[in-house]
Amino acid sequence: MKYFFYQLKKSPLAMVGIAIIVFWLIAAFAGPSMISFTHTEMDSMNQMAAPGEYGHVLGTDSLGRDILSRIVYGSRSILTVALLTSIFSTVVGILLGFSAGYFGGRLDTAFLRGMDILMAIPPLVLSMVILGILGDSSIASLTIIVSIAFVPATARVSRGVLLTEKSQEYVSAARIRGENHLYIMFVEILPNTMGPIIVEATARFAYSIMMVASLGFLGVGLQPPTPDWGMMVIENKPIIAQAPWAVLFPALAIASLVIAISIFSDFVSKVLIHER
Amino acid sequence: MNDNILEIENLHVRFSTFDGLFSAVNNVSLNLGYNESIGIIGESGCGKSTLAFTVMRYLATNAQVEGAIRFKGINLLENSEKEMESVRGNRIAMVFQNPYSSLNPSLTIGFQLDEVGMHHQKLSKSQARKATIEALEMMNLGDPKGIVRRYPHQVSGGIQQRICIAMALLCKPDLMILDEPTTALDVTTEAVILDSIAELRDTLKMSMIYISHDIGVINKVSENIVVMYSGEIVESGPKKQIFENPVHPYTRALINCMPRGGVVKEKTKLNTIAGYVKRRGVDEGGCPFADRCDKKNDTCISKYGTKKIGEHHYAACDRAYAEDIPDKLKVRITPIARKKDPDFDSERDLLKVEDLHKIYGNKRKVYAVNGIEFSVKPHSILGIVGESGCGKSTTGHMISGLFPPSKGRIIFGDTDISIGWNKRDKETLKNIQLIFQNPGRSLNPSHTVEKIIGRTMQKLANINNAKERREKIIDILRKVDLGKEYLEKKPRQLSGGEQQRVAIARSLSISPSLIVCDEPTSALDVSVQASVLNLLNDLQVDTHVAYLFISHDLNVINYLSDYIMVMYAGKIAEYGKRDEVMENSHHPYTEALLSAVPEVDPTKQKDIIELEGMLPDPAKKIKGCPFAGRCHKQVGEICVKEYPPMVQLTEDHYYFCHIKP
Repeated sequence: MKYFFYQLKKSPLAMVGIAIIVFWLIAAFAGPSMISFTHTEMDSMNQMAAPGEYGHVLGTDSLGRDILSRIVYGSRSILTVALLTSIFSTVVGILLGFSAGYFGGRLDTAFLRGMDILMAIPPLVLSMVILGILGDSSIASLTIIVSIAFVPATARVSRGVLLTEKSQEYVSAARIRGENHLYIMFVEILPNTMGPIIVEATARFAYSIMMVASLGFLGVGLQPPTPDWGMMVIENKPIIAQAPWAVLFPALAIASLVIAISIFSDFVSKVLIHER
Repeated sequence: MNDNILEIENLHVRFSTFDGLFSAVNNVSLNLGYNESIGIIGESGCGKSTLAFTVMRYLATNAQVEGAIRFKGINLLENSEKEMESVRGNRIAMVFQNPYSSLNPSLTIGFQLDEVGMHHQKLSKSQARKATIEALEMMNLGDPKGIVRRYPHQVSGGIQQRICIAMALLCKPDLMILDEPTTALDVTTEAVILDSIAELRDTLKMSMIYISHDIGVINKVSENIVVMYSGEIVESGPKKQIFENPVHPYTRALINCMPRGGVVKEKTKLNTIAGYVKRRGVDEGGCPFADRCDKKNDTCISKYGTKKIGEHHYAACDRAYAEDIPDKLKVRITPIARKKDPDFDSERDLLKVEDLHKIYGNKRKVYAVNGIEFSVKPHSILGIVGESGCGKSTTGHMISGLFPPSKGRIIFGDTDISIGWNKRDKETLKNIQLIFQNPGRSLNPSHTVEKIIGRTMQKLANINNAKERREKIIDILRKVDLGKEYLEKKPRQLSGGEQQRVAIARSLSISPSLIVCDEPTSALDVSVQASVLNLLNDLQVDTHVAYLFISHDLNVINYLSDYIMVMYAGKIAEYGKRDEVMENSHHPYTEALLSAVPEVDPTKQKDIIELEGMLPDPAKKIKGCPFAGRCHKQVGEICVKEYPPMVQLTEDHYYFCHIKP
């Protein structure tokens, strides 16, 4: 932890990244109560108001809804889905990757081919198809589906780090004192693989924001009235000439959060490499 | 003209790191004359390599250098990167420790060597190739024309290193720096390389700096020795004087802590140096060795500095024989007398191995162990010695159950345990313990010492009460000379020696009857090795546990073992009581191995038996004697065609060879 702050002081980029993440977290928690408009309220007198006009800090869209309020409110759903997705896909990835890598043999081959098949389909297409079939785009189903799309990547990373640790002598030492497989996998090996797995999990966090936004943009993401950043971009595309802010600000929100998390992820990996 | 080729003056090298600035080389001054060769000796972390890298200007960017390094009068530290290029590899050449990482695996050997001549001496391609072949011939490599066409992985480690030296010779450099060039190699290979280095030094009249942690090695190649400790030169002088009259306590301790030929556990206890080499901060003054020194007094900080002792002999301290503090090194500590165990029954074997085989791989088979038979007596130490690839570790791992044998039986007491760990019962797992070579890897880095030892106790000795367990752990830690404060520490907070002590404590905590020690000291520095060997010996006397001690170092084996087994290419070459094997060896390989061990005493140099060629291909089944291809005493066709019979000398001493005693 001491080293974390030491490196942080030397890296202004990481500081900016963390500041942006903290900003969005505060926005998601406390934002809605600080804005005088709700996200569904239609100010019919002031449609397509420019930023700053009539009390709308970031302007309004074609229906007169406050952009700021919608972005802030939308951050809640997108952060929830992204956080749950990165946790789920990491946990499932560890379970799958560890058992395949640890036991090896046919199980491992079957696992690898299965993951190859899943990976051959772009995650976005995969999620779209499943969402389309289900016809349900709640936060819960979105989380589960994006998690499934991400599992091949996290499982492969988990398998990879397990393989390097598996050949270490402390694993042999545990074997010849008669430990069972579960103990060796999760008590002996897991703590030593947390570095790369955490890095992958933070990277997945950034990817799932992109994914949720993309799905929203394609119209299969979260459904109205829940505001969604991707959906806001596509909704307001027709009025891009008259009210560019209605597209620009949600797009900026997506970009800033994704970039900030990516920077953070890089930084974490740098710190964790030193820890090893 | 100046008569020194290299003059280092008040050199300081500091590294700035996260933990602050620390000093790697501290106020080092050194002169090297033309045609002179010096050996730099010291343990790891003493700044030997940093010194060499500073001369080559190979330092990392966080290094700060002060002082002067004059090579033929030119200060290298003031040279530009461009100017350095014409010095590096051209006028000063360096050979590194690992030949396989200094050669590019994807280019042929010839191509890599030609490049040197073409770049530095602007030779044409054919001229460069001619020079390459000449250099390879100089290193006594047979068939240089064949070697140039090969890739590095197609030749053995010893030949790779000779190629690296040939590469360094290509430009006929004025100064050659060798940084532990033989540390990664087997002793017999090492002996051959050291011989050719000594020969080159005489024929080419080069100046040479040879870095090593092994005094025996330095003795063979250098006339003068420089002893470094924690970044400082603590003593320098001709090797004979250094050996016979070491003036600095560190030099003296270093010479004394090596198990030398003839030193055995019954007669002498090895001398040790307490503690380990610590990183030094920049503002720390005084003698760097003071905190580990038996002879320290109040002058160590105030009146510290280099003194002239004799002609060409300098030391930073002259208290090695000071009498105001009792001399710990002078008293030959006699080890604890061996108690006779009432239950001891030498007729019964603790462990018996019959026709043991291990074959790795399915399609491409590797014959690691090819039918060996031996037994371990209770309460005794069997030392298995052999070079890398001889199957000694595989044997140890099969006995401890890491994997089952491919063929043959392992009998422990009365039970057949030729099975892997997953099929063994708790009692067997408890009774046979394994200590690994690298303690850093055999202790889980995320667990505390308490958990590491406690888990073994809980699992195999059924001590489930945490409080009771903790008391027992403290007890066992005390036995390996570690205090209570170690309970909460994690392996990376410990030094290498402390880690190995924890590993030993873990094995001992459940009172096993056999401990397989797989090279437990080869990753440690000599001073730490001595204390670990002492500890293992004391514990054995104390607990009557038997050891199967695996090592490539004949001196270590000789020191600790009761019985010695020499292995070669998966077979036993010779087996017998320690003294019988050491003093009356019969197998040609044992003889070669014994002759190759570097001698610490410079006055006692012996002739070595040079082994050419390499180990037989482990992927092929050998019909004849596995050693036939390299043997200096080969008797003829029969050696290649027929596996040699067992020649029984005494009840406990036998060897496999066609030559009769």
